[in-house]
Amino acid sequence: MELLVTRHDTEDGAAREQRLPGSVFQLGRGSQCEIHLPDARVALTHARLTLGASGATIEAVEQRFVHNDREVSGAQLAAGDTLEIGPYFLKVDVASSGAVLAIAVRLSSRVSTRASSNALFRVLTRAPRLSKRRLSYLAFFGTLLVTLLAPIASDLLDRQQLPLAEPLAAGAVQAWNPGELLRSHLTFAHECRACHKVAFQRVPDTACNACHSSVREHVASSKMAGSTAFTLSETRCAQCHRDHKGKLAEAHSDQLCAQCHARIEEAASRAVVQKVSDFGKDHPQFRLWRVGPRDPQGHLAERSNLKFNHTLHLDPGGVRDPNSRRRTVLACGDCHEAEDGGARIAPVSMERHCSSCHALTFEPQVTKRQVPHAALDEVERSLREFYARLVIGDVPAGATPPRDLPRLRPGVAPSPEERREAMRIADERARRAVRELVQTRAVCSTCHYVERKGQGERTSWTIAPVALTSAWMPAANFRHDKHAAQTCITCHDVRASRRAEDVAMPDIARCRQCHAGAQGAPGKVASECAACHRFHGGTNTWH
Amino acid sequence: MRQQESILEFRRARYLKLALLACIGAIALYAAHDPGPIYAKRYGGTWVGYTLGGLGAFLILWLMLLGVRKRRYGTSVGTLHGWTSSHVYLGLSLLVVVTLHSGFEFGWNIHTAAYALMIVVIASGIFGVYAYLHYPTLVTQNLGGETLESTLLKIADLDRRCRRLALDLPDEANAIVMRSTRSSTREARIGGSLWRRLAGDTVVCPTRAACQALMKIGAGYVGHQASVNGQLLSAMTRKSTLIDRIRRDLRYRALLDVWLYAHVPLSFALLAALIAHVVSVFYFW
Repeated sequence: MELLVTRHDTEDGAAREQRLPGSVFQLGRGSQCEIHLPDARVALTHARLTLGASGATIEAVEQRFVHNDREVSGAQLAAGDTLEIGPYFLKVDVASSGAVLAIAVRLSSRVSTRASSNALFRVLTRAPRLSKRRLSYLAFFGTLLVTLLAPIASDLLDRQQLPLAEPLAAGAVQAWNPGELLRSHLTFAHECRACHKVAFQRVPDTACNACHSSVREHVASSKMAGSTAFTLSETRCAQCHRDHKGKLAEAHSDQLCAQCHARIEEAASRAVVQKVSDFGKDHPQFRLWRVGPRDPQGHLAERSNLKFNHTLHLDPGGVRDPNSRRRTVLACGDCHEAEDGGARIAPVSMERHCSSCHALTFEPQVTKRQVPHAALDEVERSLREFYARLVIGDVPAGATPPRDLPRLRPGVAPSPEERREAMRIADERARRAVRELVQTRAVCSTCHYVERKGQGERTSWTIAPVALTSAWMPAANFRHDKHAAQTCITCHDVRASRRAEDVAMPDIARCRQCHAGAQGAPGKVASECAACHRFHGGTNTWH
Repeated sequence: MRQQESILEFRRARYLKLALLACIGAIALYAAHDPGPIYAKRYGGTWVGYTLGGLGAFLILWLMLLGVRKRRYGTSVGTLHGWTSSHVYLGLSLLVVVTLHSGFEFGWNIHTAAYALMIVVIASGIFGVYAYLHYPTLVTQNLGGETLESTLLKIADLDRRCRRLALDLPDEANAIVMRSTRSSTREARIGGSLWRRLAGDTVVCPTRAACQALMKIGAGYVGHQASVNGQLLSAMTRKSTLIDRIRRDLRYRALLDVWLYAHVPLSFALLAALIAHVVSVFYFW
């Protein structure tokens, strides 16, 4: 059998005939197809045409096609039928000259041309107006301007002190701030130059010293020989004190102290302090200032040269007031008063705390006056003045001159002899009064140690100098006001103390009942070294 | 270049191993580092901080060099395949290296801004990797054996066929077909703006609307008109399917491209912020 194909889709437009032997013919854009329809809209093997005894049939292989204006997947072909496959228009003709079927192949004029679809294609996939390159330039230089150039420019302008530069610099440079400043530095938080003096140079110590001029060495440089410590001039402040680490971040770290103090004998062979690394676990027993070694019974003794009985004074029944004859119950605070805003306890004062009961009266039948609480010669001098006034008749209010006291006639100017006699009498009475105070009534020795020298008229007394300890642990920055929730006897239990020599200072075990080391412990206050000690020395609560 | 390997599998994931090495090294360094007694806190200003920061800055510069390398067709410095593989893995390792460099200190400043930019760039890059591995397959599956061009030609043919068939129908139906076929060739209906392309086949389609209208009107037709309407509907539906296929195609292609509009410009913003970060730290040392 034979198929006659007339191609009208040739390049030159001239019709060309092909005679194809066989009974099955493929139509498609693939070149293996007998009826080759080279166009993208045609499938590789689009349809198959079969010549048989009963006529010609066509069926779809990969895609459907249009037969006589209807889209079908198979059809019986007759003369005059039309087929459309993609842009191709096939017309079935009456067979002639031996062929079973004749087909004319044309490029349909009714379908789109390639050119018009290409225009469509371009439109659909055109590049967006946005260019990545342009955006990148914009992003790079925009970011650089905002984050780098503006802050630098405003800082430079600010240094020229141009108007408006300051608020500008504050805003722009603030964006550079890597972290919150210490609370105390917040007042100049917007002035980077206050510390960062020169661009691209580290913060100099002079910037710190502008305010912190009184910072002292940790150990005096004269004592530093033979230690691994370094003086302030050998390091930078910022080596330890780094700012921009938060409001409360300070260079307090037990590790830092322990670097030297955990092996103090290596770090400083001449150090007087003992090895320490942590308050809770590794801290020596407290050493008290000016207190000698313990006695054989294991007691400490303070050599204050005073006598005092806490038990007596703190009698729950009270102590008898010699004036009112009433009993008064004393509390610690009646004698130990807070000072310095409660941080410290003031020294006990005779005038304020003792004299209301312990009056320094002399010759009570003559006067209610008291001698000053002073050295004995000053006491004697004031007594001499008192008696001289009585003798010359210049009697102070409230005083009754003793009957046995010789007196000058009032209103008459005394002769030099009378004056000398009056002074002699005053001297004698004053000495007698002192002897009575010190020896007969033993008023001074109630509290003081009194030493007697000589006999009779030549007798003299010496009161041992008082040496009260005001700072028992001067290296500790202890504040009483921060411990106000505790009672005094929690740490200073003097209820059984009958002697002034007794020491009632707490030991480390007492402190450790509430305070743990830097790492803390359940139910305890985490206390690093700096809770009590100061690195740079300087003033603390006690000195 | 071995065609079968994806960028993730390049040379048995050579750069994955390198990136893991960098991450493990950075974590080990960070963990082993004793920041010293002054502040028991790790941050960018310690020697470990400077080391990690230097590594991070070097990696960022290296990653940006991909943009240079991919334009150098003549160079033989590695294959572009390998460069892309290293770009992906080393880029991901920045997440670890730079986060450790920060010491987890964040604030409202350019330092954290640079970090945030880096995170956004990496996130867009992760989407890019997903897109490169996922969408090309979908593009192929979507178009089947066709090309975009052949599909467009088919749509144009269908338009002509629809218009011809509609001539046999009453004015009402004819008008619907005319409207829908005219608009389908207009640029705005397929593709167009980026957002339209990203919307894919979810846009309001006039062809689909016309099909529904014809179905309603055609229910009243009888005889020849009903048969023509049937053919018309068949053609319109085919056209609608083809249009949706093209829209999906454009959507996939847009997705393959769109993330770069974030990734590239933001990485340049990151480069600027990185310069500002480094300069500012030493400007006010």
